[in-house]
Amino acid sequence: MGSLRRYFHPEQLREFSLVFLIVAIFLFFGSQIPGYFSPRIFNRVTSDVAIITVVAIGETLVLLTRNYDLSVGSIVGLTAFFVGKQLSFYPDMLPALALLLAIGAGALMGVFNGLIIAYGRVPSLIATLGTLAIYRSMLVAYPGNKIVVTNDFPKWVLDLGSTSLISIGGFDIKPVVAVALLVFIIFQLITTYLSYGRRLYAIGSNPEAARVGGLPEQQIVFWAFVLCGALAGLGGFMFMVRYGDLTTAAAQGMELQVIAAAVVGGVSTNGGVGTMIGALLGAFMINLLQQSLLRWLRISNFWVDAFLGMLILLAVTIDAVIVSRLRVIWAQTGLETRPGGEKEESHAA
Amino acid sequence: MRRRWEWLRSWESLLLVILVAVIGFNVLKAPFYLQIDNQINLFQLHIEEIIVALIMTFIIINAEIDLSVGSVMGLAGCVMAFLWERGVPIEVGIAAALFTGVLVGVFNGFMVAYVGLTSLVVTLAGLIGYRGLAHVLLEDRSIGNFPKWFNQLGQQPLVWHIPFAMIAFFVMLVIALVILQNSGFGRYVYVIGNNKDVARYSGVNVRRIKMTLFVASGLISAFAGLLLAARLGSMRGDTATGTELTVITMVVLGGVSIFGGSGSLYGVLLSILIVLNLRNGMGLLNIPGDTQTGVIGALLILSVLVPNIAQEVRSLWSRRQRAQRVQAAEEQKGG
Amino acid sequence: MAIAESKTPILQMRHISKRFDTTQALDDVSLDLYPGEIHALMGENGAGKSTLIKIMTGVYHPDEGQILLDGKPIRVSNSVEAQAYGIAAIYQEPMIFPDLNVAENIFITHRGRGPLVNWNRMFRAAEDILAQLGVKLDVRMPARGLTLAAQQTVEIAKAISLKVRVLVMDEPTSSLSVHEVAQLFSLARRLRDQGVSILFISHRMEEIFEIADRVTIFRDGKWISTLPRAQVTPEGAIRDMVGRKIEEFFAKSQTRRGDLLMSVRGLSKKNVFSGLNFEVYRGEVLGFAGLVGSRRTDVGLALFGIEPADSGEIVFQGRPARIRSPEQALQLGIAYMTEDRLRMGLIMPMSIATNITLPMLREYLSAWGLIKRSAEEATGERFCQRLSIRAPSVHTPVSQLSGGNQQKVMLSKWLNARPQVLILDEPTRGIDVGAKAEVHHIINDLAAQGLGIILISSDMPEIMAMSDRILVMREGRQMGIFSRAEATQEKVMSAAMGQNNEPKERA
Repeated sequence: MGSLRRYFHPEQLREFSLVFLIVAIFLFFGSQIPGYFSPRIFNRVTSDVAIITVVAIGETLVLLTRNYDLSVGSIVGLTAFFVGKQLSFYPDMLPALALLLAIGAGALMGVFNGLIIAYGRVPSLIATLGTLAIYRSMLVAYPGNKIVVTNDFPKWVLDLGSTSLISIGGFDIKPVVAVALLVFIIFQLITTYLSYGRRLYAIGSNPEAARVGGLPEQQIVFWAFVLCGALAGLGGFMFMVRYGDLTTAAAQGMELQVIAAAVVGGVSTNGGVGTMIGALLGAFMINLLQQSLLRWLRISNFWVDAFLGMLILLAVTIDAVIVSRLRVIWAQTGLETRPGGEKEESHAA
Repeated sequence: MRRRWEWLRSWESLLLVILVAVIGFNVLKAPFYLQIDNQINLFQLHIEEIIVALIMTFIIINAEIDLSVGSVMGLAGCVMAFLWERGVPIEVGIAAALFTGVLVGVFNGFMVAYVGLTSLVVTLAGLIGYRGLAHVLLEDRSIGNFPKWFNQLGQQPLVWHIPFAMIAFFVMLVIALVILQNSGFGRYVYVIGNNKDVARYSGVNVRRIKMTLFVASGLISAFAGLLLAARLGSMRGDTATGTELTVITMVVLGGVSIFGGSGSLYGVLLSILIVLNLRNGMGLLNIPGDTQTGVIGALLILSVLVPNIAQEVRSLWSRRQRAQRVQAAEEQKGG
Repeated sequence: MAIAESKTPILQMRHISKRFDTTQALDDVSLDLYPGEIHALMGENGAGKSTLIKIMTGVYHPDEGQILLDGKPIRVSNSVEAQAYGIAAIYQEPMIFPDLNVAENIFITHRGRGPLVNWNRMFRAAEDILAQLGVKLDVRMPARGLTLAAQQTVEIAKAISLKVRVLVMDEPTSSLSVHEVAQLFSLARRLRDQGVSILFISHRMEEIFEIADRVTIFRDGKWISTLPRAQVTPEGAIRDMVGRKIEEFFAKSQTRRGDLLMSVRGLSKKNVFSGLNFEVYRGEVLGFAGLVGSRRTDVGLALFGIEPADSGEIVFQGRPARIRSPEQALQLGIAYMTEDRLRMGLIMPMSIATNITLPMLREYLSAWGLIKRSAEEATGERFCQRLSIRAPSVHTPVSQLSGGNQQKVMLSKWLNARPQVLILDEPTRGIDVGAKAEVHHIINDLAAQGLGIILISSDMPEIMAMSDRILVMREGRQMGIFSRAEATQEKVMSAAMGQNNEPKERA
């Protein structure tokens, strides 16, 4: 029991149950839908999940510090549109440059968010609700055509969206999926092995103790927003590659899906709790469930949002009601200190 | 604390200056600007938002937030349109829409006041979920052809030049002013927003007040959704998307602290007038709607950022003065 | 432990004074801490112990006096600087990061660790430190799952990792079990033997006699004595702590005890308090004495329905009463005035009249639910006069008033509710002598008018002077009720500290 408690605590319960749920969803729909285990649904889910995951990982960094970033949907849309426009004007642009452009544009918007929130002390809700509108309106105000179409792109963009790196019996690993996995691994490493990553947790976990301990709170929060913006920029690039045709409404409302993925994946909106694997699993589960339901019930795409809202509430309620109660049990049965005993004591004296 | 009220007063006077400047600019741009029909039109174009801003003022003063108002507007309108599409009399549809609003409010209120979740998360989920339900009802159809009297309610003047929605707004404004600034309920709203614990330690039923506010928010948002349906003459799943941004901007710009407890409807009324005139002015300059939204977003950020910076500068200033005083005193001691 | 007089002190506090508004929290206090000693600091609540600690750790700055580290004067302007000087403090409620594991909690605030986390090295380092403390604790465990004692251990380990030289332990034992206290003590002794200077604060006499090398006693913000433990006796220590003059207090005039108002039998709340039995009569002041952690406030909160009790019965004016919410309590006629004026007592930005009428707002509403301003103002005026609240007008925000006047506004708020039983929690804390006397006068008047008053106070002379009977609590248990005639400061303090009549199960 001791070692069980050591490696398995209530926060991880969510992740385990998510894996379990995902398997259950697979099995259930596999028995309901003929040809469910075909590569088609797999390929479809993974491409969508890839984009959401990348953005959700950025959002998780921000959520860990007890803040929100509601502007990520607009950042994704604006970078996708902006980079798409550039590519249609300058088809000779190096792919790497286009990628850097996207990440840089996203990071710049993140800098703006971070400045207002960390140094201007504007509550993140207000600030990013504002920038959500500002970034979207910048997209709309962008001169020229209000639309980007696939035909405008150089060939490599289209190839990037359709080729697969590895293909096993029709199950493709597309470049976007590879990128998402890479981002996941990098940020899993950052949040595990970098002091900065751990400080994100510290700040959200107990801001008071962080202040007393002298952690540079403003700086940490600022960089969380910059990273979130940069990842949303990367997400924008992936969005462009995946969909090709873009309107000014590109990725509108994506912030909600992203927050839903994070929250369902066990990232707490009260900060300090959550992992990259959680965000990944959350994104995967939401998409899988959506796609499967669409196929199974033949219900319309319109159910998706209703369903997302429910899932967020469910996740948060479970967190509030069940996980916190489990924590109490864990705390009550918590470890005891075992001093070396009075014998050792007398040796030392 | 008198200083705080002075600051508020000066915030309101700042709003007044901005308002005069905006109107002045608009008048220069368009000589017909102050004519009664244009002024009515100005209100009429955003009448639903400013009605919702009234209840949002209560909620933010109470130190909560409701992000789901736009979705509730859409959902209520869609409930009505959905029933109308299936041949249900419009009156029944209206009742069902209002009931939906109450139901949604009860749900939000229950989650916040009794389950103890933060209103931000609950209403964020509501923002997605209720909008989703609206889409479920109408899918991608646009429902119109409402009865003539219903459409006229939204479009035609009812009394003199004034349409029904505007009358409704002013009636609700007066009621809201009386309730918030003069009634016992309004007092509780401020007290809880200021300090929930003191309220509880004084025997105030905090949960019931919060519940009431969220139910009222649901009901009023539903009502606003119906007005919108009447004004537009048709309803779609995505109608009233993004309303929450404008509404929250109006309230926060009006000097209501996002942390609750302070601000007044008078300030909010001023900021409503600013936002309306600003939008109208931008319209005169042919600035497209989405860009206008961007400006509103900037306004929202500035309305919190500017006082923060001002406070920072002031405290820096006083710290420097204090340091100088200390230095002077030490020099005196030394000399 | 030989007293290390020959060594030079690590930390010297020299002639420290600190004043808050109207109270002199510390008055020319000096204290030397030597390496390798456990120095106990004793005093009643409000004797100035916490203020001294906060000055040591950079939370407050002294008005006068200086701090010397190794003989050199230092300025400590925040907790980070204090840590850099090797001064750290642990409190009753540890400041941990619940979502980080034990090892991280120890090291996360360290500077200059480099950008990478070497988990293995960190775990090993954490294990080393814990081993140095003679404690076994899974360093990979998230801190949320730890018991309070284990969390404190983590904080001590953190202090060690920061090369602590002076460790302040501010009532670390008040929520620990007997076993855990023993663990903490062996840990403290180890640190002492490693040359750390420990300033130990506790209200438990037996603990101080068990662990301290020297004992310093404060009273009323003044230094009274510093003696080697061998020269301290419990009686002497108590005498030094309570030796205040009672003459400066308004004594309660003898009123005739009226009818029985409320009787409480076996009132208990799990893990908080248990087995309280007492009666409240009209015209009587029932004092609740006890030290920090004695759970007196929790009893008040239970009677007012904020944190209702689990079991036990309350009979109010002959009828059994179940009190589940403040509204119910108010309807019965029980009012509770909080000790925490700022956070639970008053809406600071709102006016005097608004605050006074808040619990009874329903009585100030017209048929339409509107507030009758004139009635509200009249009530405000009435109480301003009756309790002589000094303020420009009833519309003045209470934040602009002095502490004493704020206290009177809070009293007015509850008097306006016309209670039968009025529970006053620390009604004179943090107010000046004049206002204090006025409050005592008011309490006296109220009792004379036939109210039953429960007076919770940590101010021993106040309790002695104002109460008809004194109920003494210690760690959630009722230690006894003394009548005015039999109560002496020494007796009450002894009971509160668990001397003599310690209940069997905790001996």
